[in-house]
Amino acid sequence: MKKRLSLKTVIVIIVTYALLAVSLFPYYYMITQSLMPWDQVDKKIFSRELTLRSYDYLLHTGGASNSLMWVKALLNSFLVSFPTAVISVVVGLFVGYSMTKLKFKGKGFIYNSLLFQMFFPVIILLVPRFMLMKSLSNSYTGMILPMAISIWAIFMYINYFKTLPNALFEAARMDGAGDFTIIRKIAFPVTKSVSTIVFLSTFMGRWTELMWDMLISPDIQMQTLNVLISTQFKPMGNFPGPMYAASVILTTPIIILFLCFSKHFKDGISFMLK
Amino acid sequence: MNPKKTKKHNSFRSVFGWLLNTPYLIYSLIFFLIPLVWAVWLSTMDWNLMSKEKKFIGFDNFIRLFKDDKIRASFVNSYRYLVPIVLLCFLFGLLIATLVHHLPDKIKGFTAVLFFIPYLTSGVATSVIVKYFFSYNSVFNRFLRDTFDLDIKWLQNETVAFAVIVGIIVWKMSGYYALFILSGIEGIPEEVNEASKLDGSTGFHKLIHITLPMITPTLTTVIVLAAGLAFGIFTEPYLLTGGGPNLATTTWQLEIYNTSFTRFQSGYGAAIAIANAVQIFITIRLISFLMNKLNKRFGW
Repeated sequence: MKKRLSLKTVIVIIVTYALLAVSLFPYYYMITQSLMPWDQVDKKIFSRELTLRSYDYLLHTGGASNSLMWVKALLNSFLVSFPTAVISVVVGLFVGYSMTKLKFKGKGFIYNSLLFQMFFPVIILLVPRFMLMKSLSNSYTGMILPMAISIWAIFMYINYFKTLPNALFEAARMDGAGDFTIIRKIAFPVTKSVSTIVFLSTFMGRWTELMWDMLISPDIQMQTLNVLISTQFKPMGNFPGPMYAASVILTTPIIILFLCFSKHFKDGISFMLK
Repeated sequence: MNPKKTKKHNSFRSVFGWLLNTPYLIYSLIFFLIPLVWAVWLSTMDWNLMSKEKKFIGFDNFIRLFKDDKIRASFVNSYRYLVPIVLLCFLFGLLIATLVHHLPDKIKGFTAVLFFIPYLTSGVATSVIVKYFFSYNSVFNRFLRDTFDLDIKWLQNETVAFAVIVGIIVWKMSGYYALFILSGIEGIPEEVNEASKLDGSTGFHKLIHITLPMITPTLTTVIVLAAGLAFGIFTEPYLLTGGGPNLATTTWQLEIYNTSFTRFQSGYGAAIAIANAVQIFITIRLISFLMNKLNKRFGW
């Protein structure tokens, strides 16, 4: 027997999706405008003729000596965000595992140091970090290293490992598995949902970082897409098509990543609160 | 197992524990501890970021803070941002979570994820587009001029510029906080819901007397997170208003950035950052304290 929807549920569905439509309208607008013929951009919210001219512009046009600068910027964004996310996951896994499943001298010290950093406003460190990394400006190392480790990610792992029974790891140890094997074969697979959420969040955080990247990479060839968009589009321009196209390129990779992993992600979020 | 072997085993365990933490410890030394000491030292210096010469001026930077209009504006603005952002994020988050909670199970998760999408947007993309939208020659403003003869300088108006920035942030964050609140609501045990039904508590009454008190720990998390966010605003005012008009939208982050890297008063910048950290610390503590009181009084 098919269950019929009550009137109340129907109303809830309508209200929810109306609200959703409002909240996602900027995306619709951004995407359609990026595909509009240039003489119609911002004048219509729907068009039958669509063109890739704005994207083509980004692909072929750049500043005077910087052809392909948009492609390079997209590549830079990936080359900075991907390693950052991987390092956050690996370090988080290592520290989380050792803090909860290993006994060793000095653990308390490390834990306190983590707690201290957790609530510390990083803005204080801005000027000294810049001084430290100045010689590495316009390099991927200079962009990645200072933001490579996320204390938040470490605590995600610590809290998750706390919920796992020690027996799981003890049993493997009894069977003679080495410590690295335990991490690779047990700790990593069982924390998949945390790893997903940590990877996605740190990737996104790095992808949308503005202040540090502006400081450390003034060279246009080494800028991330986020920084390049912030410097290239001035409101005086008459043809905003490419601005919408660049914004679409900046936003969609993250959204696609999240949608692909949304199942794991939901597990992760519900855990975050426990 | 003989004791000798155990001891050896333990010391190996200890080495392994430290080994796993080595990357974190090296990172903390280089990118946390050294910069921290350095920042405190810099805050007592008169220094322009580039030159080799630094002049020790003791607490002068900190005294200067109290006479600086920009700092006063950042201090006041941090609370002006905090209140509407926390309230609106909380209200919209609660609204979205309540709606999604009442959806049929099949589309629940999917819908919650869709509400989450604005959170993924880079502040740069939103700011650039919003700035264009409000610029003098934008279609919107041309339309207002041609049809209503209205010439409004949106981002040059203190109230509008401030509201626009708050609006962007609330739009971006509400769906994210809604996920937290939703998890809280879904975590309420079924018995509680049934008991409240028996007592005839529904709708708004139930929200105030049962749902909200049941999820106060989640709400505390959300409010503390939103407060932390409000203190960290940078991208939007940097790109939209540059902190103006008349410092109405400026933030600590913006002032620290500008003082250190565009006005090249880096010693002073470090002092501002320390003042900001103290303020954040006290405010977040205060909010947690108040929320705990609330939790004790109304929570379950």
